[in-house]
Amino acid sequence: MARTSEELPGVEWVEGAGQFVTIDEAKCTACANCVRVCLGGCYELAGKKARIKSLDNCLECGACWYVCTDGAITFSWPPGGTGFRSDWG
Amino acid sequence: MDAEYDVIVVGAGFGGPVAAKRCADAGLKTLLVERSGVPGEKVVSGLVIPIYGFLFGPEFIRDGNPPIQRPICSVVNRIVKDGKIFFTDHTLWVPKPITVGYSAYCKPFCTWLADRAVESGAELRTSTTAVDVIMDGGTIKGIVTDKGERLGSKVLIDSGGTQNQLSIKAGLREKFTPEAIELYMLWDFEMDKADVDRVFGNSMEFFHAMPEEKIGAPLGYGSTLYFFTYRESIHPGLGQFLVTRGETPNAAKLLREYFDNFTGTIERWKQDIAPKVKLRSVLWDVCPIYAGLLEETRGMPIYGDGMLIIGDAAGFEASAFGDGVPNAWFSADIAARVAIDAVKKGDSSKAALKAYKDDVKADPFITHTITDFRRWDMRRLLLTKDYSQFKRKIRDHWGIGAFRYSNMGGPCLKAMGRMMKDDPTVVASWLKMFTRYWKNWENNSFDRLSTD
Ligand SMILES: Cc1cc2nc3c(=O)[nH]c(=O)nc-3n(C[C@H](O)[C@H](O)[C@H](O)COP(=O)(O)OP(=O)(O)OC[C@H]3O[C@@H](n4cnc5c(N)ncnc54)[C@H](O)[C@@H]3O)c2cc1C
Ligand code: SF4
Ligand code: SF4
Repeated sequence: MARTSEELPGVEWVEGAGQFVTIDEAKCTACANCVRVCLGGCYELAGKKARIKSLDNCLECGACWYVCTDGAITFSWPPGGTGFRSDWG
Repeated sequence: MDAEYDVIVVGAGFGGPVAAKRCADAGLKTLLVERSGVPGEKVVSGLVIPIYGFLFGPEFIRDGNPPIQRPICSVVNRIVKDGKIFFTDHTLWVPKPITVGYSAYCKPFCTWLADRAVESGAELRTSTTAVDVIMDGGTIKGIVTDKGERLGSKVLIDSGGTQNQLSIKAGLREKFTPEAIELYMLWDFEMDKADVDRVFGNSMEFFHAMPEEKIGAPLGYGSTLYFFTYRESIHPGLGQFLVTRGETPNAAKLLREYFDNFTGTIERWKQDIAPKVKLRSVLWDVCPIYAGLLEETRGMPIYGDGMLIIGDAAGFEASAFGDGVPNAWFSADIAARVAIDAVKKGDSSKAALKAYKDDVKADPFITHTITDFRRWDMRRLLLTKDYSQFKRKIRDHWGIGAFRYSNMGGPCLKAMGRMMKDDPTVVASWLKMFTRYWKNWENNSFDRLSTD
């Protein structure tokens, strides 16, 4: 079962990816770097912490993980065969 | 262990299948693991693979019929000033059927590569994520998959790409610093082949501009918007470094804003292109373009006890043009040679695998291309507003100057000399490649893929 998104044509997401990006709130300094680099709009600042709104438009690029120099973001791969895919990459 | 292999290769992108094919050809029990359902469907790229990859990389690619999109014979460099094309550099071109590279979509190309590995006897497991490495003391002994299987290896080759996880888990590397990483967004548009032929021909087209033009991302030197041309589509995109001078730009906003500004102001787009195209896909990914320029990333290990790291995972992306496929192929070839030797001698200790590092260092392209400061240095020029220098640099960098000895000319001549000394008939193979690839493109006929 694959899902599509109007914002990102030509991409499909296979269900079952789970929460493969997570934030450790205790380490988050609310620098907003993750919000700034996520082209999928997956992050928001809620109060004094970053929060993952949804990974629905995530392309598993890892940009958020790279810019979180406070080590609050953990990035891993979703299980095999799940997550985004495209014919046009 | 649930199964034992001589070699496990993680990642069937551009580099992994090459390493797996080589090991399988040498009779090694080889497993190629890929997290996507079909190889290449999670790889997002430019993509024009430069010709030096085809000429000096694996001969089975050179002598084969991989699915290419368009032979690229020239680079048209345009400088934009005050919203208009102010200067065009046409100096980088070669006569057909010679090319400067071939464009390709990742999914069919990586599938074609993985098919070659399977044909040679490698086992391919798709929809399988390697989630951890198995360690015994300091030695890497295999992987754990997302299904919980424990698979043993004498040599583990990590070709997992930029966001490499395994070599971090193995304690060999740390994640790249964000200064090394470019975030690149691209838009794929359908366009009739006749229109691509008429508007672009066999060229790719780059639009360069000073930051205030707002057509290429403003920081980290990326003030270029690249048009890669395919068979029946075009693939424009632009990139932004994650951190420049300590600052993380609002890439989420800027990349879209800049592309919209380009399409809203540049007549070439509005008149020649926009009426003929239809948006098909929007994608992005990151690439470690400056990994070789920064001491802390260049210095990270590329091998350990029982493990070799190749391609993007090792930070082997060329810093000047952002091309990483040739280096993924070269490093895959070297890694396979070293792995085969290690398995045959029964010694895959760090000391035995050091040959990988030495051979990577001796490779005519890898070190040269990852330590090329030309693009990095352009950042300073962009602040000076000196247009005559800008024109000169564009010609020296993306124009005819790309062939100069100190740029790509030197490594190409060295590689040519080396290969012709080993086998003078290689020249015929090169010429045959140019004509066969061109014919394949004209007939739109390539090898059948396992997924067809
Ligand atoms: C937007 C963009 C534009 C680019 N443009 C160009 C260009 O024009 N020319 C050029 O030559 N290069 C270009 N590059 C660079 C080029 O795409 C890479 O250098 C090349 O893909 C690297 O090959 P690789 O084998 O190292 O990694 P990849 O091709 O990225 O392959 C990695 C593979 O490993 C899989 N994988 C990762 N981890 C695991 C795991 N744990 N378990 C199972 N599978 C795993 C991934 O799914 C993927 O299939 C571009 C890159 C980007 C992002
Ligand atoms: S980048 Fe890290 S520290 Fe900064 S807001 Fe995001 S999660 Fe918090
Ligand atoms: S991996 Fe990329 S797309 Fe996904 S949440 Fe992080 S920045 Fe956004």
